Amino acid sequence: MLPLIAYWSGLGRAWRRKRMLALYWFFHTLCAAAAALPLMAVAVPQLGRSRLGDELMRQFDLAWLAEIASAAGAAAPAVVFAILAASAVLLLGAVFLAAGAVPLLAEEGALYSPETFWRGAGRNFWPFLRLALYSFIPYGAAFAIAGLLRRGAQALWGEGLAARPLVLADYARMALLIVLFGLISTAMDFAKVRLALSGSRQSLRACFASLRLVWRNPGVVFWLWACFAATGAALAWAYVELAVRLEGGGAALVVVLVLLQQAYVLARIVLRFAAWGAAAELDPILRPLPAPEPTPAPVPVHDYQI
Amino acid sequence: MRRWLIALSASLPLCAQLAPPVASYDIRASLDAQKHTITGEQTLTWVNDSPDTVPTLQFHLYMNAFRNSRSTFFRESGGQLRGDRAAEDGWGWIQVNSMKLEDGTDLTPRIRCISPDDGNPDDCTVIEVPLSEPVRPGAALRVSMRFTTQLPKVFARTGYRGDFHLAGQWFPKIGVWETKGFRYAEKSGWNCHQFHANSEFYSNYGDYRVELTVPSRFVVGATGELVKRTDDAQRGTSTYWFAQPSVTDFAWTAQPGFLRVERMFEARKQTTPEELASAARLHGISLEDARLSDVKMIALIQPEHAEQTERHFQALATALKYFGLWYGRYPYRTITVVDPPHGAGGAGGMEYPTFITAGTSYRLPRDVLTLELVTVHEFGHQFWMQLVASNEFEESWLDEGFNTYSTGKIVDKVYGGTSLPLTVFGSNLWSWLRLPKLTQASMDRAAHVGTPVRDPLATRAWEFYDSSSYSINSYSRTGVALRTLEALLGEDTMARVMRAYHQRWRFRHPHSRDFQQVVQEVSGRDLDWFFSQFVFGSRKLDYAVSEIRNRRLDTPVGVFEKGGGKQTVTAKEARRRDEEREKRGEKPQYESWVKVERLGDAIAPQEIEIRFRDGHIERRAWDGQGRWAKFTFTRAAEIESATIDPQRRYALDVNLANNSRKADYNTALSTQWSVRLLFWAQNTMLWLTALV
Ligand SMILES: [Zn+2]
Repeated sequence: MLPLIAYWSGLGRAWRRKRMLALYWFFHTLCAAAAALPLMAVAVPQLGRSRLGDELMRQFDLAWLAEIASAAGAAAPAVVFAILAASAVLLLGAVFLAAGAVPLLAEEGALYSPETFWRGAGRNFWPFLRLALYSFIPYGAAFAIAGLLRRGAQALWGEGLAARPLVLADYARMALLIVLFGLISTAMDFAKVRLALSGSRQSLRACFASLRLVWRNPGVVFWLWACFAATGAALAWAYVELAVRLEGGGAALVVVLVLLQQAYVLARIVLRFAAWGAAAELDPILRPLPAPEPTPAPVPVHDYQI
Repeated sequence: MRRWLIALSASLPLCAQLAPPVASYDIRASLDAQKHTITGEQTLTWVNDSPDTVPTLQFHLYMNAFRNSRSTFFRESGGQLRGDRAAEDGWGWIQVNSMKLEDGTDLTPRIRCISPDDGNPDDCTVIEVPLSEPVRPGAALRVSMRFTTQLPKVFARTGYRGDFHLAGQWFPKIGVWETKGFRYAEKSGWNCHQFHANSEFYSNYGDYRVELTVPSRFVVGATGELVKRTDDAQRGTSTYWFAQPSVTDFAWTAQPGFLRVERMFEARKQTTPEELASAARLHGISLEDARLSDVKMIALIQPEHAEQTERHFQALATALKYFGLWYGRYPYRTITVVDPPHGAGGAGGMEYPTFITAGTSYRLPRDVLTLELVTVHEFGHQFWMQLVASNEFEESWLDEGFNTYSTGKIVDKVYGGTSLPLTVFGSNLWSWLRLPKLTQASMDRAAHVGTPVRDPLATRAWEFYDSSSYSINSYSRTGVALRTLEALLGEDTMARVMRAYHQRWRFRHPHSRDFQQVVQEVSGRDLDWFFSQFVFGSRKLDYAVSEIRNRRLDTPVGVFEKGGGKQTVTAKEARRRDEEREKRGEKPQYESWVKVERLGDAIAPQEIEIRFRDGHIERRAWDGQGRWAKFTFTRAAEIESATIDPQRRYALDVNLANNSRKADYNTALSTQWSVRLLFWAQNTMLWLTALV
């Protein structure tokens, strides 16, 4: 029950932060455009003039991709650079926006104002950035575990004449990797909430404390993650099923398709926010709040005198 | 000659000979499954079918390519081929222990390694033996040999893995004596190339009788027909007798785990009377000549691929049918397909006479056609390599490329296209995402377009710029070139060309010019420009429509001679006249022109199609010689678009997008493309930021 409550609460919290959602969407779209722009510059002008353009819109053609690749060979370094640069800006920007968004999602009663948001973003940026870097440790460990499993499977069955055990081991490895990634990612959500609520700057401690929290409550965290993963999968399924019905239609359907695409992107962002909201919902339940740090302000003596 | 071999020859009936035998082998071999060695004795009967007196013999010892890292094969491949690596402990070699003539002359001490292709002193994949008495024209020579073959651990084509054994190129095989003027021979001599990283086939036809002894638990498959099998319970071995006349090679496989399944290809059931009649009509042959024959299909399948057994048979039957209908019936009585186990992929996708290796993977999705593709392709080599035995070393395009073309046509016709494996936990997302099936035609063209044109198609296999140039030219680019030829000649003429070439050169050894000869004969056209640029040359074909301009012809302004005097038309006056014309409903005239350009160095005659806004279409021919050409029109409508090569006959053109141009930029379309690209970028970005 607990994971479901947190899931719903997370969705509710995300839904109430529409301006933050819009901002997050805008930023992603901007970076996506920056990355896609050079690709468009290479691929699109040719098609806008060519009679092949309409044909390719209906039927994707491998040979055409090869044509572009060989025609744009010289531009390849520029395209790669643009994509890398856009990705770097994106990652930093995403940390910054998360730093602003998480406190507002975590404190349910908090009132949104641009100043609150940007203040949070400024205050939490460095701890969040450090957290993102520290998260390489558990993600790396997950990879290492998966690598060990692969080695083990190779040692056991690699010399055999059947691929079946290796393939099945690979399925198991993939499943484990996905779950581990899900759990770690959820743990990092907890860590962000912890950092944002406590105002602490100790990212490493938050990182490991959250991993510990996940370790102690694997069931709750797994099911919470599973709820989000299932929602994500269902959204993707719904998107593909709808999109294929709209492809190749007239101008009106194209507009509908574009709206659908952006709705899908927005829905993914809502899920991201909801995951932070859900972590905030669960955090106080799973973690007995630490004794409040000694407050520097002394208690006025006269309170005791009444 | 050893007595048992005479006995063997007498006891094994061969079905009818199809080609005069030049190099026939009687081989007795046994497999040591622990050491993966083959001990063999063979008697070669070689007929000197040339007018020359032959002073020496040359043999291929292919297996020595795997002897050490200094062999030519290793130097060229870097110990890595088709994605597989050589194992440290898996060396292979072949040792000729003795060589004797019928009269008892011992040739063993005279054996020496030679390297006719690259002079590599460390390569011993070809040996030469001088004879004391040369072989006279028309004479037959019998040579008895004892040999030991150590199979390498499979990484390229042949070898063992666990208890799977694939013995290809495993016995000493004589080269081909070419008399002066035969193919490219400038003087008479042996054509016996070393074993290279790419290419390996060129041999004479002959009759093979082979006796194989293996541990009884092994399941065996081989070239030809199984004549009998005996078991030696005491030794725990079984002996298999195989026989096949009129082939160029012999390969076999043994593994205890094989599932051996047989199916009959029943010609009557597989072809309809209409199909036969249509083939007979097209090629001007009798129904009897178009008819196919029954063939026993044998599949040796890995147990974990049992559910794909029928896919193997379907692919084989499809290939037997179409190769037969198109080029002539498959003349042998069996075809065996081997499914190599996991980890022995290097032995997959190989062709030997009446015996091929395919390759699949555990739970291969139904819509991923790699199994069908490889099976049809390897079967295709029965026609392009075995029945038409061109020299793969020197002109790989004639077998790999012809086969790519034929395979592509069959697979695209019968199966449509293939999905690519985009599997998640065994289920393929390709179809679910509604990604289109890829045809062989488009995949070949993609490979052609994506790789620079560096070598002529007709290049000796080891003399290509690199391995990728070898494979693109030998396979995909030839496929594209033959499709271009088909578009130029028309489908029916091309079909007649291919059959005529196959039939004329069946059981013989043609070269590239022989094919050109047939093309020109059947089509009645001089195609030297095509062959010299794209087969014997390495020209790049790229034509483009580079500019379209439309200009309205308004009333001209200025001073004009009129009635002996000068009349000035002002801009205002001109405008007035234009407006009046418009009011009268007269359509304005336009002067429009199209410029086309030749961007590549290949020259090909072109057609240009010009579409006007009123629906009118003009066509112009251009010899394609100059760097550019301009076509001007004066009409009451503007040009809407122009296309060079509108029928897309030149699949060889490396850029089809620039073959057409519209006068107006299609903003709606490019917006759609941009929006699509943006959406995928957004999604990728969201995956990225999910981690922070
Ligand atoms: Zn091939």
